[in-house]
Formats: sequence, C-alpha cells, structure tokens
Amino acid sequence: MLEVKNLRKTFGDLTAVEDVSFTIRPGEIMGLIGQNGAGKTTTFRIILDLLTADQGEVLWENQHLSKKIFNKIGYLPEERGLYPKVSIENQILYFAQLRGKKKSEISPLIDDWLKKFDVKGKKTDKVKTLSKGNQQKVQLICTLIHEPELIILDEPFSGLDPVNAELLEEGIREAQSKGARIIFSSHNMNNVEELCDSLIMLKNGRQVLNGAVRDIREQFGRTKLFLESDLSREALLEFPGVQRVEKNRDGIDIVYLTQAEEGKAIFEAATRNGYIPTFSQQPPTLEEIFKRMAGERNE
Amino acid sequence: MNKFWVITKEVYKKNIKSFGFIVMVLIPLIIIGFIAGMTYYFSQEAQNAEPTPIAVVTDDPALQELFSDEEWNFDIAEDITTEEEAETALTAEDIEGYMVINTEAQTLQAEIVHANELSNQIPIITEVLTNYQTMLRANDLELAPEQVMSLTEAVQVEETVVSIEEGALTEEDTTDRMIQEWSAYAVSIAIMAFIMTYSGIIAEEVANEKGTRIMEIILSSATATNHFFGKLVGVIMVMLTQIAIYAAVGFAAYLYFRDTDFVQGLIGEMDIMGMLQELLGYTLIFFVAGVLIYVILAAFFGSLATKMEDVNKAVTPIVFIALAGFYVGLFAFTSPENTLAVVFSYIPLFTPFVMPFRIASGTVATSGIWLSIVGTVGFAALISAVALAFYRSNVLVYSDTNILGTIKRSWNIMQSNKKARKQRSA
Repeated sequence: MLEVKNLRKTFGDLTAVEDVSFTIRPGEIMGLIGQNGAGKTTTFRIILDLLTADQGEVLWENQHLSKKIFNKIGYLPEERGLYPKVSIENQILYFAQLRGKKKSEISPLIDDWLKKFDVKGKKTDKVKTLSKGNQQKVQLICTLIHEPELIILDEPFSGLDPVNAELLEEGIREAQSKGARIIFSSHNMNNVEELCDSLIMLKNGRQVLNGAVRDIREQFGRTKLFLESDLSREALLEFPGVQRVEKNRDGIDIVYLTQAEEGKAIFEAATRNGYIPTFSQQPPTLEEIFKRMAGERNE
Repeated sequence: MNKFWVITKEVYKKNIKSFGFIVMVLIPLIIIGFIAGMTYYFSQEAQNAEPTPIAVVTDDPALQELFSDEEWNFDIAEDITTEEEAETALTAEDIEGYMVINTEAQTLQAEIVHANELSNQIPIITEVLTNYQTMLRANDLELAPEQVMSLTEAVQVEETVVSIEEGALTEEDTTDRMIQEWSAYAVSIAIMAFIMTYSGIIAEEVANEKGTRIMEIILSSATATNHFFGKLVGVIMVMLTQIAIYAAVGFAAYLYFRDTDFVQGLIGEMDIMGMLQELLGYTLIFFVAGVLIYVILAAFFGSLATKMEDVNKAVTPIVFIALAGFYVGLFAFTSPENTLAVVFSYIPLFTPFVMPFRIASGTVATSGIWLSIVGTVGFAALISAVALAFYRSNVLVYSDTNILGTIKRSWNIMQSNKKARKQRSA
C-alpha cells in the first residue's frame, strides 16, 4: 500500500504542494489531474524521493519510502527520452539493470513485450530509427518490463493514437491485475474516467477533489439532462431551475439544471403522451468538472 | 551487479562504440602518420636525388677530384676543360653550373656560375676551398701536419648550467632539463586536448540525460552519487582506452621502425626511457589531476544546461579557464620565475598547466611541488563534493534563464530539501 500523508513542499515563497494526501491499495489505479503548474510533477518527485517534503510523509507498506524500494518503481516521465544511438534491446536492458534486474532475467522477455505493444522494428534497431510513437512504446516497455509494484506515469497518453492508447490501457490493466499500485496524470479526462478507480485533482498545490470517480461525479449532482421529446426549447426554459438548453448534433436537447430534483417535473411533462426515445439525467462529466474547478476563482 | 558499475559500463560501452570515438582516436594518428610519412618521403627524396651535373675548370686536377667525392652528389663533366666549353654546356642545359678556379701563388680564386641550382651548396664549397687553400699555404711554409692542426684547432668551450636553490648552486644536466621542458610542453598540450574533448563528452552525456528526462528515471533507480561518479569513471575509462591505444600504437611503431636509419636519425639522440621516466613522475600526477578537475567541472556545468543546445554555452567558462591556464603555462615556459607564473602555479585550476614548466626549469623546491599537488587534489575533492551536492537538484531545474539563474534555483531546491530533512530528523 502506498500512503501519501499531508504533503507540503515550498520553494522559497512559492508553495508547490499543500496538504496532499491519498492512499493507493494494491491493484488500484489513481488519476492525478490538474492544470499545468498545479503541483502534479512536484507530487511525483516527492514520491520518487527526488525532492524532500517539508511536511508529511510517503509510506510504502507502512515504511518510509526510500531508495530501498527503488527497484520496485516504474516511472515514465512527462517528456520522453531514450538514448537515440542505443539499440532497443540494450535500452530496455540498461533501465532494467538500473532497477536491479539481471540481463538474463529480462533478455528472454523482450520479444514478447515488443510484440505485445506492436513495436515496429527489430530489437537490434537503434532507437533513433523508430517513429515517435514507437519510441514512446519502447519507453513504456522500459517502465513496465521489470514488473514494478509502484507505477508512476506522467501524461502517458499524450501523443498516442487511439490504437496505441488502447495498447497502453491494456498494459496498465495487466499491471493492475498483477497487483501494482498505479498513479497517472492526464489531461484527457476520458482516459481517467475509463481507467481510474479514484482520482485527485490539484489546484495551486491544493487537493480540490479526492475520491472514487463515480462518487466525485455524483457529488456534483445529476444536473445534466439529455432529452428527446416534443417539448420546445422555449417550453423547457420555462421550467424553474433550467439554466440553459442546448441542442447537440443528433437533435437531442441538453438541459442544464441547477438542482437534480428539477428533472422530475420535466420528465412528467415530456412523457405526458407516453413514450419518448431519450431521457437520461447524468452528473457532469469529469471534463466539465475539471473545467469548472479550474475556472473557479481561489476561495 | 552494482548500479554504479551498470552506469559506468553503459557510459563506457556507448562511447567506445560511437563513431565519434573512432574518429577522435584516429585523427591524431592520421595526422602524425601523415607528417611522419611526408618527412620520410622528403628525406628519401633528398638522399636519392640525382647528382647535379657541373663542370670544374681548373689547372689543379686535385680540385676536380675533391668535388668528385660522393658526398657532394656532383656529376663532374670531366671532358669540359675551358670556360667557353662550360658556358656552351650550361646554355645547352647539359650542366647546371660550373666553377672556374684559379690557383695563383697559393691563393685560390673561384667563380661559380650556375642557374640558381647551387645556392645551397655555396657556403660548403667556400669552406672546402678555404681548407684547400690553407693546406696549399701550409705546404708552402713547410709546416708539418701537426703544426697545421694546432693552428686550425677550435677553441674548447664547456657549458655548465646550474640552478640556484636555497643559496647553493647545483649542477644541472642540460639534456635532462630539455627533456623535462619538452615533456612539460607535451603535457600541457595533452591536458588541453583531453580537456577540450572529454569535458565536451561528459557535459553532453549529462545534459542529454537531463534534457530527455532520462535523468529522472535514473535518479529514481539509483542514487545521485552512483550516477555522478558512474558517469565520471565511465568517461575516464574511455579516456584511458584512448591513451592505451596511443601507447600501444606508439610502442608497436617503435618496435617496427626503430632500426631504420631514418628513425635512428630522429630519435638516436633522445633518451626514450629517460623521457618516459620524466613523464611518469610529477607530470603524470598533474596530467591526471588536471583532466580530472576539468571533467568534474564539466559534468557540473553540463547538469546546469536545460537542453542539448545549451551544452556549448555551459562548457564555455571551463574552456576559457583552461585556455587561460594553457597560455600562462606557455608564458611560464619562457619566464618561469615571473611572479604571475609563480602565483598561477599554486592556483588549483592552473597548477596542471603551469607547475610542470616551473619544475622543468628548476625554479621550484620539492616542498612547493608537493604543496601544489596537495592543493590540486584537495581542490578536486572539494569541487566533486560541491558538484555532487548541486547535481541532485540541478537536474530538476528546467529553466530558460541563464546559468546563474539555474544555479540560484538549484540552490533554493537544495536548501529547501536540506531544511526539510533537518526538520524531519529533529
């Protein structure tokens, strides 16, 4: 179990991280979201022991996290880097050796991993001959091949096409099934919603959201209503608690409510003649929550 | 395997296999080979030169014989006996010049006419003719050969170079001194060359890993100390490999060529073993310490660069310091007792360039040499410690500001970490 407790880190006058706490159990995936400069990388660096927190602590299996567990970590930094002039095979072996693995342990696995991530190229090819996407996949293999128990991925999806993003998702799920604790940051809320058990949102170094994805969305109430009925836009706007009405491309009305309860009255009115094809009352998507939270002024 | 060795091995392997390394090793060899080849070619050319056809017009057959000697490399046209004939032959380019020598009352008078082919030989021709004249006059004066010898004997000049040390004069071996001076010269050039190449290599290594964030992966796998010294040792091993290659090539070339006349002519005078001994003494200590200091500095400055493109900018201060040291060294070569040279020989960054010249010129006492060695080694240890302390936080700073800005921010991170650790332990 990874426990992060009340982290605080300042650089001079700047408070980079303030009171950040979370727990990740084996087999759990946590998403870390926040705008640029919110404190995500600082949080990662504190966990990785590259920075020392002013306050708070990072515990691994109830012990202070130190270089003793370096070998159990898999880390993918935000900007990807590999040695351009080194072969794929040697690149993977070098990083694995730095994580305390023997060459003989990793060598036989390389072919399978390259196949699993569909890397185009031979393992003796130099990294610089690969396309950017393929380099990124090689880097992912470097992050995962030593079967780490704590996986930290900084923006793993950026720059991947949908097919490769799916390969990455599969890779993350496989590590999850083996009991790894996984944290990743992303700007793509769809990835977070799909993959994460829980999430943290940081804003100016503070934790503004924390919990299971479903719970967080429900917290904001089911204020978004998808409706396909004979009610006109004007009629909808007359209901109390209706903020605005939009029509999406498929002709479905999207009604924004101030209170979830208001939905009932609209349902009754819409179904007064019986069947309607669509009535779906949803909480806001993560993306909407993210935008709302990020846009809010500091209290 | 220990992570330190994993890093060292990787750095070593990557650099040894690189095209750049092969080029770097080969270029000096090619240049030296080319120069040696050219020198050899021209000396052979001079030896095998066709004899110059000339005519000697004289009444004294002994003179003709004198110039027929092989060492002159002249082809004497014996059938030409008059000035007119000689002139015709020269016009027809059958000969390249002629001498008209008159012997009158033991006085030689020579006229040399040539198409600018004999200019180089004229001083020697003059000397030979003078000797011949001396012989003629000695005969005339009925001097015995011993008397002639005693008249022409050269003055005996004996040279003793002494060094003034602690109020006493000590005799010095001039060849020893020359060897020392030239090995000091060689070392300062070698230090300069190695600093230029290897500070670039290590700064690039570090900046590249930082710029590509590989550094963050590595520092979450191994300690900064392992990484810093792993890199350092790796690069130094590459350097030792290069030196070993040169030593091997040099030794093989020596064994192969040592018996040829050409090489004997070049190095016959030199005491190879003596030179090696000189090189393996203080000079070697200064070479190692000098390169080490600069390579450590380069690793430090490399960790300040944010991108690969900034490496050259980051390494510039080091190159300038080294250049300054190099020039002070050259200055010390000519005036080793100058105050500037003396002061600089004790400043750690300049010691390796300046001190060897002062040792060679015998203007420094043994205690002074050891003082400078202790200073240099101590300084190397100190900057390793400072560089390492900064290294951990340097690699986390990706600012677009200048180097000073980076150092400042790195210092802040370092202080912040230190404070945090202190609070923790309290």
